[in-house]
Amino acid sequence: MATSDLVLENAQPQLSWRGRLAEKRLPWIPIAVLLVLLACAAFAHWLAPHDPTSLNVINSKLAPFESREHLLGTDVLGRDMLSRLIYGARTTVQISVTALALGAVIGTVIGLVSGYWGSWADAVLMRITDAALGFPTILLALVVVVIMNPGPPAIILAVLLTVWARFARMIRGDVLTVKGYDFVTLARITGVKAPIILWRHIFPNVANTLMVITSLMVGQIILLEAALSFLGLGLSPGAPAWGIMVAEGQEVILDVWWLSLFPGVAITVVVLAFNFFGDWLRDYLDPKLRRAR
Amino acid sequence: MTVYIARRLLEGFVTLVALSFVVFGSVHLTGDPARFLLPISNDHDEAVYEAQKKAYGLDKPFIIQYANFLYKAVQLDFGNSFTARRPVREILLERIPATVHLALSGMVLAIVIGVPLGIISAVKRDTILDRVCKTFAIFGMAAPQFWVAIMLIIVLAGYLDLLPAYGRGDTQGWLPEWSQIPDMIRHLILPAFVLALAIIAAIMRLARSAMLEVLDSDYVKFAQVKGMSDRVVIWKHAARNALIPVITFGGISLAGLLNGSVVVEVVFAWPGVGLMLLEGVLSNNFPQVEGAIMVSGAAYILTALIVDIMYGYADPRVRPN
Repeated sequence: MATSDLVLENAQPQLSWRGRLAEKRLPWIPIAVLLVLLACAAFAHWLAPHDPTSLNVINSKLAPFESREHLLGTDVLGRDMLSRLIYGARTTVQISVTALALGAVIGTVIGLVSGYWGSWADAVLMRITDAALGFPTILLALVVVVIMNPGPPAIILAVLLTVWARFARMIRGDVLTVKGYDFVTLARITGVKAPIILWRHIFPNVANTLMVITSLMVGQIILLEAALSFLGLGLSPGAPAWGIMVAEGQEVILDVWWLSLFPGVAITVVVLAFNFFGDWLRDYLDPKLRRAR
Repeated sequence: MTVYIARRLLEGFVTLVALSFVVFGSVHLTGDPARFLLPISNDHDEAVYEAQKKAYGLDKPFIIQYANFLYKAVQLDFGNSFTARRPVREILLERIPATVHLALSGMVLAIVIGVPLGIISAVKRDTILDRVCKTFAIFGMAAPQFWVAIMLIIVLAGYLDLLPAYGRGDTQGWLPEWSQIPDMIRHLILPAFVLALAIIAAIMRLARSAMLEVLDSDYVKFAQVKGMSDRVVIWKHAARNALIPVITFGGISLAGLLNGSVVVEVVFAWPGVGLMLLEGVLSNNFPQVEGAIMVSGAAYILTALIVDIMYGYADPRVRPN
């Protein structure tokens, strides 16, 4: 009896939900980091022990773990580092998500149109895309800041201008392949209108690529946003943003080293997490894109 | 090939003109340079304002001003810097050598460190050395440049006092005196390394995966079976082929280096074009911004152009048709 059960089980290897989950090899550590980031961004006002901008000169320059009130210490003006880090997560998420979402939508639409229509529309759009790709990012961002004055909208626009072209390029390439498939030709023959073909038949087939590029771009966008904040092109000085915090620490590096250390670690860890997650997603969704080890 | 070069030249030229239009146009959108130059107490004196406008040619129509700007830009004449009160051209000529030194040193470091590490990492695959290299590559791509720079300054310049923390030392212009060379190199090490970090990581990954592929090929196995020494097989037979993608990438990233240097120049107070650009942006110093952007943009476009053309010669597949 027992043996026959065993044979049956082997013949039909039905995995439990645990087994199926294990088979996906989800990157748990990066996912945990990203969840913490999102939680900090969403609930900064509950999680942060102090107001990130309230000054407290008596308790300034406290070292990390020196006082139980301020776990990661305080900066030159006595502001609580932990609270500033938590609110910094909110800034990072706000700016990156906005820029990324806008870039993804604009880039995808341009890629779809360019790839599907071809001819002169494709030629013109791809020339513009090439020009945008061939432009150094920081330089472009500085031009934007000259026009708009420093601030979050300037940073978002600067990031957006460099991001959309990458989406347009990749999506267009995918559309060119999908366009040749029989089901698209059949839809066209039966008289389905172009916007519906694009939305119903082509878009679902490029959605995987879209997700993979999005997740791989996040890390780069966070780095760019941090660099622009560091250069003083983003939020006003004193605002809780990781790039600004590193810059504030630079003025007193030998005296109060932890001011620059913690925000930098936060940026690195978050970017690492997104990179790992993006790599996993690419391998999981699209084995064709897999790089050589 | 001639057609290809002609097309790339035309493309580069069009991009450059587009850049000049955007830069000039944006300065005009942001406000009125003539009003900015007025002393604050005189804010309402219209006669002074009109005179100021006339003096800088700001009363003429936009298109004439733009043509004027282009004509002068070709001669690197961008007018006087508002803050330094001297020609932008003079400042540019002082700053360009510093940025070129930095970018070239960064490139050399990236190749000298990245290529051998990538090859060794592939040859000693799955050893501790390989793991260390891989970890370094992953962190090199994720850590923000400006932060790595500050950490290195704290440790190497602050606590250990091994290297200078900022500036270019006594070096000025293109070539310093012989006696100043050690000082110049000491000042270059940290900024060049930070500038190169992300490229070192990328080159290492690229060299490693290319090398792994080549090591797996028949001709390398044959050379090994024939009894050639490992050293000859790896460095003479395999590495040469593995380096083709690395060279392409190196060319592209050199163009990027010229501009990626804004952040590094700011952290290390390196007196280059990038620092000049940021100072100009933060103080609404329009002539300085125009000059710095046009020069870096032109350098970027030109480098990318040269790399593309050279690559067209090296690899026939890139040429159109």
